[in-house]
Amino acid sequence: MMETTNVDTMVGVIDKKMNRQLKQYLDICARCAICKDACHQYVTTGDFKYLPARRAELIRQIYKKYFTKSGQFVPELYEARDPDENLLDELYESAYACTGCRRCMYYCPFSIDTAWILSVAKGILIAAGRGDEMLSQLADAAIMKGDEPEMFHDVLVEGFKDIEAELREELGDNTIEVPVDVKGADILYVGLAGSHTIKPAARIFHEAGQSWTLSLFEAANYGFFFGDGAKATKIAKRFMDEAVELGVKEVVITECGHAYRVAKLFYEAWSGEKMPFKVSHILEVIDRFMAEGRLKLQPGAITEPITYHDPCQVGRNGGIYEEPRRIVEAISADFRDLTPNRAEQWCCGGGGGLVALTDMEDMRLKSGDKKVEQIRKTGATVIASPCENCRLQMEDLVKANDLDLKVMAVMDLVVEAMY
Amino acid sequence: MELFLQITAVWGVYLGIGVFVIGMGWRVYEWMSTPRSPVALGMFPKPKTGVGRFFKALKDTFIAPQTAKISPWMWVFAFLFHIAALAAFVGHLRLVQEFTPLANLLGEDGMSAFAAWSGGIAGSVMMVAVMFWILRRTFGPYKQLSVPEDYLLLFLLFGVIIMGNHLRFFGHVHAETYMEWFQSLLVFKPVLPAELLATTTGWSLGAHMLFTVLFLIYFPFSKLTHTIGSLAANMTRSE
Repeated sequence: MMETTNVDTMVGVIDKKMNRQLKQYLDICARCAICKDACHQYVTTGDFKYLPARRAELIRQIYKKYFTKSGQFVPELYEARDPDENLLDELYESAYACTGCRRCMYYCPFSIDTAWILSVAKGILIAAGRGDEMLSQLADAAIMKGDEPEMFHDVLVEGFKDIEAELREELGDNTIEVPVDVKGADILYVGLAGSHTIKPAARIFHEAGQSWTLSLFEAANYGFFFGDGAKATKIAKRFMDEAVELGVKEVVITECGHAYRVAKLFYEAWSGEKMPFKVSHILEVIDRFMAEGRLKLQPGAITEPITYHDPCQVGRNGGIYEEPRRIVEAISADFRDLTPNRAEQWCCGGGGGLVALTDMEDMRLKSGDKKVEQIRKTGATVIASPCENCRLQMEDLVKANDLDLKVMAVMDLVVEAMY
Repeated sequence: MELFLQITAVWGVYLGIGVFVIGMGWRVYEWMSTPRSPVALGMFPKPKTGVGRFFKALKDTFIAPQTAKISPWMWVFAFLFHIAALAAFVGHLRLVQEFTPLANLLGEDGMSAFAAWSGGIAGSVMMVAVMFWILRRTFGPYKQLSVPEDYLLLFLLFGVIIMGNHLRFFGHVHAETYMEWFQSLLVFKPVLPAELLATTTGWSLGAHMLFTVLFLIYFPFSKLTHTIGSLAANMTRSE
């Protein structure tokens, strides 16, 4: 039995996170378990703890006990219970394993957002001191960088200049730039740690003659995966403030799923600020360049059979389905879409920060079976996907399943197809 | 039998309807008085206009095309059950007010035959669907996921339906008698017609009403609030 104060804290988390949608989700689930066939983790492992309705049920059990009269009156009817150590263990497995792909929500006849319910579970775990350590540390490191930018500024800029020098040497073109801190630039491009998201973008912006500047901060948001809204806001705020300060017209997020969703769909609501610029995904921008004739690409440049994976946070949860397909189809000779695709796309298994969690690695690799099956059916030897976590997961799947498959960012393909 | 019917078919009806109406009202009040999520929880694709989103939510709620795709059998039984339940509900409205134009059209015998067929089909479909759900909950992950509430609701529903079917297929009482009884409740001058008390059908009606009253009382505190909540939740998916 847990101490009363701990129970109070955990129940307080639900109270704090309570909103109309959450209340409805907790009240109306019929436990019909239609969601069982939607979850890649449940389908591939058959493990009950990954059944979406079961994951949500853990929170529902506390909700019934503390937030409903009927649950207080006859807890047995709902299996309502106090949060104890066992429940926390179950919550940890269920919540941090969830990739937040929301495929279960798509198929649920009541549209119950299990991932949203599990964000409450993560809040409870954090309040109980049981939040995931790894994700927490990654989030804190990012926040520290935002709190003391001057400590990092010169080192970062030096690194970017190195990337620029490398690019110039590789291309034999001294006009290509990796601009930083440019006031009045049209676009603030937010990449990821490492040069792989910066180099192709620099070439594409250069080719299109686009005015841009590179953010000092990376787009990735471990605060979001950790489940702490305040941390997630702080992490995104770093480049949002930068964008305001530089006076850009558009913030462009690199090929990363969750960062795009955070910046585009969550940030304004979280921060309560109306941002004076629009937020786009880099693939929307490339698609625009192509439509405007600013980026000439070689049709059919990619000759190998190629397929495209919709990252959940870009597709189902971000609304970008067609732009990447237009780009990939324009530059490849043999495009083969996965089945199912778009809104029904299977999660690759790497989302939700799962690629950073070593204790769930076995399950993560197993949960990719559906993706492997889909890819094998197409016979493609290249897969493009605009999300770092998807790519890391699929590279692991290639090794684990001995696939003959190259995992690529869409930008890299675009660069290959440039004249 | 008279006391039993007094409890189930007179006072129980008032209690059941009262708890149901107040309970459902309270549930709606609780939802409406809780602020909405500041973050849009929708997913894509979604229609661009508000009207489009509303119609998508209607379709998601009443047709549930995604569910049909992933779980066709569940969809078939759920769809048939809900249609049959609606038909049964509409049929019961005859207790409040005779469907005069239809009765005139079909004649007395025609109306009885129509009621027997439509009511019989609706009751049978519901019975099969509930049996499917009971069986489904008995095996595999469905059993692990189920809580006592699920079985209680299915049990009550099964009781309502079985006794309703019993009245429909084996009852010896005519519609006019039920109308007399039910309309007397509506004007708060409850009468238990002698014809009801004279045959064993009275016991069957009492049992039908007992299950119905318990079902109505429990309804607002159960997952069956999805009847009013699913449209709102489906709206959220399209927002």
